[in-house]
Amino acid sequence: MRKRYSIAAILSLVLMLFAIPAHISASVELKKLIYDDANLLSPDEYDELNTLANKYGAKRETDIIIITSNNPDNVDVEVMTEDFYDERAPGYDKRHGNTVILTLDMRNRDVYLAGFYKAETYLDDGRLDKIRAKITPSLSEGDYAAAFKKYIKTSYKYMGIKPGVNPDNILFNIWFQLGAAAAIGGIAVSIMAFNSGGRVTVNRRTYEDAKTSGIVDRQDQYVRTTVTKTKIEKSSGGGGRGGSGGGGFTGGGHSHSGSRGKF
Amino acid sequence: MQVLDYKCPNCGGGMVFDSVTGRLSCHSCGRKDDIETIPDPLKTYAFSENEVNEFQCNSCGAVTITEAETAATVCSFCGAAVVLGDRLAGKLAPALVIPFSISKQQAMEAFRKWCKNGLLTPKGFVTADRIKGITGMYVPFWLYELHNQVEAHGHATKVRVYVKGDYRYTETQHYNVYRRLRLNYTRVPIDASEKMNDALMDKLEPFPYEQLKSFKTPYLAGYVAEKYSYNDKELLPRAKDKIREYIESAISSSVTGYTTVNFIDKQVNNTYTNADYCLLPVWVVHYDYNKLEYTFAMNGQTGKVVGKPPISKAKVMKWFAGIAGVSFLLLKTISWSMGGGLL
Repeated sequence: MRKRYSIAAILSLVLMLFAIPAHISASVELKKLIYDDANLLSPDEYDELNTLANKYGAKRETDIIIITSNNPDNVDVEVMTEDFYDERAPGYDKRHGNTVILTLDMRNRDVYLAGFYKAETYLDDGRLDKIRAKITPSLSEGDYAAAFKKYIKTSYKYMGIKPGVNPDNILFNIWFQLGAAAAIGGIAVSIMAFNSGGRVTVNRRTYEDAKTSGIVDRQDQYVRTTVTKTKIEKSSGGGGRGGSGGGGFTGGGHSHSGSRGKF
Repeated sequence: MQVLDYKCPNCGGGMVFDSVTGRLSCHSCGRKDDIETIPDPLKTYAFSENEVNEFQCNSCGAVTITEAETAATVCSFCGAAVVLGDRLAGKLAPALVIPFSISKQQAMEAFRKWCKNGLLTPKGFVTADRIKGITGMYVPFWLYELHNQVEAHGHATKVRVYVKGDYRYTETQHYNVYRRLRLNYTRVPIDASEKMNDALMDKLEPFPYEQLKSFKTPYLAGYVAEKYSYNDKELLPRAKDKIREYIESAISSSVTGYTTVNFIDKQVNNTYTNADYCLLPVWVVHYDYNKLEYTFAMNGQTGKVVGKPPISKAKVMKWFAGIAGVSFLLLKTISWSMGGGLL
């Protein structure tokens, strides 16, 4: 009896540890990670997002950067991103280090996502496509703050999941895990309560006279065959409008993953 | 009223049925008689059909009132085992009996053990010794013999899915299926006592039919027995209802190898051949807990206990927390091994 108590106590403790996300105190010094040249954010929004990007970036050892531009020189959004990386040399670990960049070209309404080094592995073209698909609706509506927030959080989340697996697998969702665990517990306890008064332990064979019972006659008559066909949807990466283009190399020779689209 | 008792031929003491040896035994001198060989006193008397609710004890002479259903009891004055012959004769004569194989001591032990094993039973219920009363009772049952002719028509499909080029093909083969089954059920027990809870009695099954004996009154000595409250005709609908689910599952299991099976028409033709009147052994336990009385029943042959025990909320919570916690850790481990993050 005592043993059961202690097991239950340990389990609930572990459960609590997992359920309450650990809040790591934000680093003392905030890096400038948002370059809002197109002035899409209010000062309040800017501060909040910059803090958020610093906080989540630190956990994944990656700079989560946002660039917005009115693009006066009409530079291609991908080139703009690559040049930014070459010139500013961002990176969490070192100059030209782990970085993920979201670039908005307000002139051509182009959006580009790029992952460098660790972010290139963890946020490959496919995952960047997924992120872009998630934020494009908000971008189209002009709700830039919400889109940026989603971008920061999703990048953080995806970088916590091993490369090569589907990051949106429902098994990785903490709420699904908690819900499923509660459901299993609930069902098990209900069964126990239901069976506490004894179960019926007879079945159809108990009283059947096996010698005289059985199938006397059977007919299985084939009638017809029907065939239906459905076209297999090719899983194309592009979630948003005009999505195309993957990664490449910057002028400075840094390899990166990428996802490009319109909003 | 025809009153039977069992006096020891050696010492004159009252003899009762002994569940360990299966013989009629005398507590005073230890004499044990084989029930199969001694003449049943019931057979040697003529019966009176009129119902009387009182009897005079042959041992002490006291006149005692009984309930109309009681067929065997013990005299409340001297404790002698008494069998009321009129209620076991004529159309009330049982054909078969399964004697007790679990003694009162064993029954109490088994019941306590069962309480302890109750995973959701409150702690106080487990430890407290509050057996208010335990009664060995022969409960009247009808054992039905039911023969069934079953015809079922249905529609079945076999589905095959394959990919060719850019298309996914679903190929469905349709069949008409027909099955004719003969299903004979023997000794389907239906409890014929008004007092006993039907659901409780159903859970007590199965009774070991290899222990069935042709009825003799000495088996009842020392126990309580009742006569049936409903006859076999009255309980036939219940018996049919009980085998209905057996028939359904027999039909379903007769059609195999298909993806889907849909029965359009099922014809069941019951033939009721006969029902045997039988007394089956049940220990009835009354138990006090928290000012409430709980009733449990135990199969007098197999020791299976049924009845609704109280449920402890604390234990339910503990089990819930434990099982949910383990499941959560398992899910976490699975997601982690698949490459998911820890948070």
